[in-house]
Amino acid sequence: MANIFPRWSNWLPFKIIFCLLVLGGGVSAGVWYYLNPEYMRVGYQPSQPVPFSHKIHSGQLGMDCRYCHSFVETSAYSNIPTTQVCMNCHSQIQRENPKLQPVRDSWQSGKPVEWVQIHKTPEHVYFHHSVHVNRGVSCVSCHGKVNEMDEVYHAESHSMAWCLTCHRNPSEFLRPVSEVTNLDWKPSEGKTQHEIGAALVDQWHINPPVKNCAGCHR
Amino acid sequence: MSKRIFQHPAESQTGKRYWRSLGQLQDTPEFRQWMQREFPQGASELEGNDVSRRGFLQFMGASVALAGLSLTSCRRPLKNLVPFTKAVEWSVPGKALFFTSVMPGRNGGLPLVVTTFDGRPVKIEGNPLHPVNKGTTDVWAQSSVLDLYDPQRSKEVLFGGRKSEFSDFEKELGTILKENGDGSGLAFLTDGTVSPTRDRLMRLILRKFPKAKWSSYEPNGKDLELAASGIAFGKGSEVVNRLDRADILLTVDRDILGVEGDISSVRGFAARRKVEGPKTKMNRLYVVENRYTLTGGMSDHRLRLAASRAGAFLKALAMQVSKLSGDQSLAALAGGLKAGDTKFKDKWVEECAADLWEHKGKSLVLAGHRQPVAVQALALAVNVALGALGKTLEVRRAVSAPTDSIAALAEELRKGGTKALFILGGNPVFNAPADVHWAEAQAKAQTVVHLSSDQNETSSKAQWHLPAAHYLEQWEDSFASDGSYIVGQPVIMPLYSGINSNELLARIAGVDPDPLALVRDTFAEVTAANGDYTKAWAKALKSGFAAVISDKSQPPILNGGDIEKVITASPQVSVGENDFELVFIGDSKVDDGRYANNGWLQELPDPVTKLTWDNAALISPAAARKLGVDTGDVVRIAVGEKSIEIAALVLPGHADNSVSVALGYGRTEVGSIGKNVGVNVFPLLTTANSRYVTGVSVSKTGKRHPLAITQEHGALEGRGADLTRQATTQEWTENAENKNFFKKMGIDAHAPTNFSLYTHPPLDDVHGWGMAVDLNSCIGCSACMTACQAENNIPIVGKEQVINGREMHWMRTDRYFASEGGDEDEPEMVSQPMMCQHCENAPCETVCPVNATVHSEDGLNVMAYNRCIGTRYCANNCPFKVRRFNFFDYNQRSITNLYRWNLISEKGTPDSIQMQKNPNVTVRMRGVMEKCTFCVQRVQEAKIAAKVHAADSGVQPRVPADSFTSACAQVCPTEAIVFGDIRNPESRIAKLKEDQRGYRLLDYLNTENRVWYLARIRNPNPKMPDASRAGSASKGGHGHGDAHGHSSSQNGGHA
Repeated sequence: MANIFPRWSNWLPFKIIFCLLVLGGGVSAGVWYYLNPEYMRVGYQPSQPVPFSHKIHSGQLGMDCRYCHSFVETSAYSNIPTTQVCMNCHSQIQRENPKLQPVRDSWQSGKPVEWVQIHKTPEHVYFHHSVHVNRGVSCVSCHGKVNEMDEVYHAESHSMAWCLTCHRNPSEFLRPVSEVTNLDWKPSEGKTQHEIGAALVDQWHINPPVKNCAGCHR
Repeated sequence: MSKRIFQHPAESQTGKRYWRSLGQLQDTPEFRQWMQREFPQGASELEGNDVSRRGFLQFMGASVALAGLSLTSCRRPLKNLVPFTKAVEWSVPGKALFFTSVMPGRNGGLPLVVTTFDGRPVKIEGNPLHPVNKGTTDVWAQSSVLDLYDPQRSKEVLFGGRKSEFSDFEKELGTILKENGDGSGLAFLTDGTVSPTRDRLMRLILRKFPKAKWSSYEPNGKDLELAASGIAFGKGSEVVNRLDRADILLTVDRDILGVEGDISSVRGFAARRKVEGPKTKMNRLYVVENRYTLTGGMSDHRLRLAASRAGAFLKALAMQVSKLSGDQSLAALAGGLKAGDTKFKDKWVEECAADLWEHKGKSLVLAGHRQPVAVQALALAVNVALGALGKTLEVRRAVSAPTDSIAALAEELRKGGTKALFILGGNPVFNAPADVHWAEAQAKAQTVVHLSSDQNETSSKAQWHLPAAHYLEQWEDSFASDGSYIVGQPVIMPLYSGINSNELLARIAGVDPDPLALVRDTFAEVTAANGDYTKAWAKALKSGFAAVISDKSQPPILNGGDIEKVITASPQVSVGENDFELVFIGDSKVDDGRYANNGWLQELPDPVTKLTWDNAALISPAAARKLGVDTGDVVRIAVGEKSIEIAALVLPGHADNSVSVALGYGRTEVGSIGKNVGVNVFPLLTTANSRYVTGVSVSKTGKRHPLAITQEHGALEGRGADLTRQATTQEWTENAENKNFFKKMGIDAHAPTNFSLYTHPPLDDVHGWGMAVDLNSCIGCSACMTACQAENNIPIVGKEQVINGREMHWMRTDRYFASEGGDEDEPEMVSQPMMCQHCENAPCETVCPVNATVHSEDGLNVMAYNRCIGTRYCANNCPFKVRRFNFFDYNQRSITNLYRWNLISEKGTPDSIQMQKNPNVTVRMRGVMEKCTFCVQRVQEAKIAAKVHAADSGVQPRVPADSFTSACAQVCPTEAIVFGDIRNPESRIAKLKEDQRGYRLLDYLNTENRVWYLARIRNPNPKMPDASRAGSASKGGHGHGDAHGHSSSQNGGHA
């Protein structure tokens, strides 16, 4: 009786399994490598109800971050400014600008402007703004050069591994507290970031939670 | 090295033994299972009626298929950030705001400080400025925040059961008031809440409608005590017990530390239990009671006696006191009391009376609210003879205006002619005495208006139902027990547009119904602030209270003649040896049923019986044997022609011819939590026998009813004498110099210290957190458990889950009985709060395969929920059994809906319940382990505050000593729990952990716990016949004489 299956089919199951393994491995590797905040979140730039430009306000006009984000030094959250804060200036300036219509509507109606959230901390993470900005961690370390952004986008990954790069080596990021909101700050001539940072770590008794999960997870 | 197995040394069977339950005493297989297993056999398997294992697998297949479909919507959800339009004063997003307020109650108001986040009240603490509670609270204040958010609260104005509008009600009210010029057709029934504004409005209304009838009703109120003090010291007077001044206390059927006391009596008692050394003079507590109560648990001498025999006891005591003082008038008074046989334990009465007399002026006798007026009046006469007046017993004008009783009102209603009946709060259809036939009487009124926070049994029988505002939603006021005036400011707008009773009464009185104006006017009147009182008002709002100038009228004089009249008129009540008495007890959780829909309270184990989600007939072991019943057997209790069927619960230390049943269960018209939980006992209660009734027959029915009792859950390897150490004052004095007296008791006396296999990171932080629990002042009230539940977002799990041992409380209060030779009748009782011990060498950490539980540098054993994969190894390896596992998604499911398959069942928490959650604590999901974190959110906030404060100054950030504390320590009314930084020599904990009484649990395991317990000291009177039974230091489970029964543990490593 003739063979129903040709000889080459003997190897077929093994070839299929091999291909599946390679494919599966490839998918796993792809997921493992790409499905993380570094690729999934960096660059997220939703359009906001008001095309507020940090570049104009903070970059060109030189407004301090804390004019609008006024509680960042006292609270866990860096607050979004109230309509009232916008109207402090815009009741005088750019009164007819159509882009500002939602702000004026909000001021008239009392209904708040609904901004789209960009930086979102997972619910099991408790990040505290004030303890960072009061201890020499600049806004730029986590939010990027916001003063150069026309519309804000997600600049850093905000993954746990990313947090730990600083928590393990704070000397690479710390700066004098007075320069925290100066997003263009550079170490002064002749000094490296590491030298300045290491001195501050020592002087301020900087001791961020590294192995203590409860530092961020409560 | 071979495997090293640690055998826990067996408990000695001789000497005094400690046991959690009769099951442990008899070492039943059920108990062994609770002790040796983390959860009972099969607890981790799915059970329940609606899902079989096979069905579950089918569902699983389907859910995988559906999961594929849902992948298409795998987009990042859009979230909005919504700032205020205009900034709100004081509001900083992410920071808590604190407001002073008050929780009004029948014993006066409790001064509070309410924590709010973004306008949501989240946690309630005591007002630290107020001298009455100094920042502490109780179970009911803690759980009241859940009542505020109860999604089943009354939300609408109802007319005839249908939705109506408040404006319609106002129209009808106008007509009613117009038709009743002199008020002859108006009647009012209020609850017993102490409210000066309500009293003021009452006076206004009675002036406007002089013929209106006004009554009040509180099933567990102290109306009999008020009647007694009125007779003894003149109408309208009330007595204030100063437990803080009493060296010798005798309570007769009075649970002064539990449901028949308030926070000031608890704190007054505990102040005299704070001992620094054997030389500190402690108070001594004699207790006569029919069942074990918290007061009995703290006693130095306890006599179990039927409640109906308390009068006889007091008579015998009065005779003895009269003999000692030579005051014949007291003997004459007591002689008139018809109390039956007064011959029992003569020596006990004799020595107790002698002790009271010896401490004349520093002793106090307290009779129960349950006792007849004659008995309570006699107790006051005894106090006067003991020179207590003005010292341990003060008399003042009653804070609440006197009103008529509910029985008188029912009589009036039955006569007809009542046009409108206003019921403000309360639930008389459910809880009025049966012989009042309230529902029938209420129907005689033409219009019935019921103001209530829930739609209860009374609402459905009233034409108009008005939703009541929670006390956190509206301006309230009250008097604290020291007589100071407390203002309660609203911390949230009424969620369901409820109004409070003041608003309604103001409309009737025809004054401005603005609640703020009403309270302000009362404030001006009460504090007699002359002229411009805005400053005084602002000050009162800030501090939460204002002192009231007390009336320094004539010192009270005992009115012996009136007492004699009452005593001779009082009928004899005494239980015979062969029949039972039935004692109605105010429940330690749901009170008279008003808190029935509060899940935290329903699931809180009763401090003594450890019963949850039920009430039961408490009987003594001897009575149980006589009746042939055991815990869980349903008995029929018959009073005359009426009877109820209720499960029995055998409680050691109960009087033999007595049955105690808690009121307030068996509600039928209430939200889903409280519906049909337990049995309604009110049908057996009558006006004449409103507190206890004799001549009751109890019989077995043969039915069973499962009771969710947690007493055997979390049983530690069973050496109670090692876990709860105690000594008598005498034993302590003899060992005053021995530093290790308490540390090396029992097993620790001979078990060599174990070496440790465990490692932890260097504990090199500047802080080190620790806790101390003083067992000498802990009364076991379980307020800490509720505070922990509120602070840490702990869900309730329901009765069935509790039976399976899955309750989620991070801390529990272990209750032990102790007796020699297994005596079940008259054991001693000890309570011990139990939470994660934060072992430095933690057994749980080494077995976690994913490092979800690790140690922090500041000495916390921390849990990272998101790492936990739910192996439960940690819980299995915990010697203290303090870890809790989320078997179901308790936060996302209602307790009746736990077993439903994911995709077909409703998920999600009601919005209002979400509003209660503490935003600083993760809400845990199914499948993760959790446990006490030492309130790590508070620790972190404090550390962050210290770092922010240090900023760039170069100062080492350090949390100031005792600047914050854990939720359990903050609530503790007796300040028995102390939390703080052991590395800071200034902190209280640093001193307490060095206390001679300090010891750590299972120290021989070398786990290096961060929780220290301070041993209990008993202060028995050496002359008393039962003095030798008290204390246990010398005769604790493991004396030096007996054999070392712990096998191979110390040398086992080298085999």
